[in-house]
Amino acid sequence: MEIKIMKNILDRNQNKAEEVRGLLKSKNVMMVNIISSPGAGKTTLLERTCEVLGSKFRIGVIEGDITTDRDARRLKKFNIPIVVINTEGGCHLDSHSISKVLDSFSLDDLDVLFVENVGNLICPSQFDLGETFKLAIISTAEGDDKPAKYPMLFREAKAVLLNKIDLLPYTNFNKLSFLKDLRNINGQVPVFEISCTSGEGLKAWFKWIEEQINAR
Amino acid sequence: MHELRIAEDLSAIVLETAIREKLSIVSKVNISFGQMIQIVPEIFEFAFRECVKNSVAENADLNIEIIPIKMKCIDCGNDFKIEENLFVCNICGSTNLEIREGKELFIKSLEGE
Repeated sequence: MEIKIMKNILDRNQNKAEEVRGLLKSKNVMMVNIISSPGAGKTTLLERTCEVLGSKFRIGVIEGDITTDRDARRLKKFNIPIVVINTEGGCHLDSHSISKVLDSFSLDDLDVLFVENVGNLICPSQFDLGETFKLAIISTAEGDDKPAKYPMLFREAKAVLLNKIDLLPYTNFNKLSFLKDLRNINGQVPVFEISCTSGEGLKAWFKWIEEQINAR
Repeated sequence: MHELRIAEDLSAIVLETAIREKLSIVSKVNISFGQMIQIVPEIFEFAFRECVKNSVAENADLNIEIIPIKMKCIDCGNDFKIEENLFVCNICGSTNLEIREGKELFIKSLEGE
């Protein structure tokens, strides 16, 4: 006999994500789910962003890491609330782990919560955390083929940051080919070409993220 | 490796349903995956087998249907299938699109007795 089910397999994650989204909306907190490969510059971007926007906005951070609290330690100097989620081998965060740690934050005292997802371009894109939007970071050292290989992330991201542009002369990264692939997948997404090391291009990113926080 | 987590959630639904429907054996599980989810069927099958070991579903066939990506153009209303990652309307050239199909992660039904 056949039993009809017709159910989203990730229902449990999706329902919890909607609950998180509702809670954050009621507290007027914007949550940004930052997704990239390992080493693309998520933590460094957060360092630069806290340096400049830390005095204007109340920032909180959730650090998703397979193991260790090294990324969180780099952000300690900003005196902001940070919670680490160690996934112990898991390749992505999910909405249940986010929901659990939200209790550790005083949400009434936050404007924006950055979630640094586990470094990985594919798995984190599939799990809704209840975020306001996803942010994709790619660095020039990784190669220009990433949008074509991982279309879901680049399709769903509200903005794409191309980091380490100071390294362009030393890589075979073809920016035109990268932008062409990206435009084919997501013709409308804003792209910021930045270097978190030299500071190049960061002003435009700060302006954009500030606008997003103000419009939340 | 998101396949493992999805396989775990799927096996939980299968086993809950089997108990509720008093099935002593599950012979087939019918699921649909959108192309955008980027599931590798072989890895998924392997992960599912691990999850249902020593259960009523341990010999169930997995029937995976892959659903192509379809978008609707918000500017001209055209519904079209995405080929080769080109998310551009094939009539008016707009990139102002919304997804219609291709992100499914569905269990449709299971078969057993």
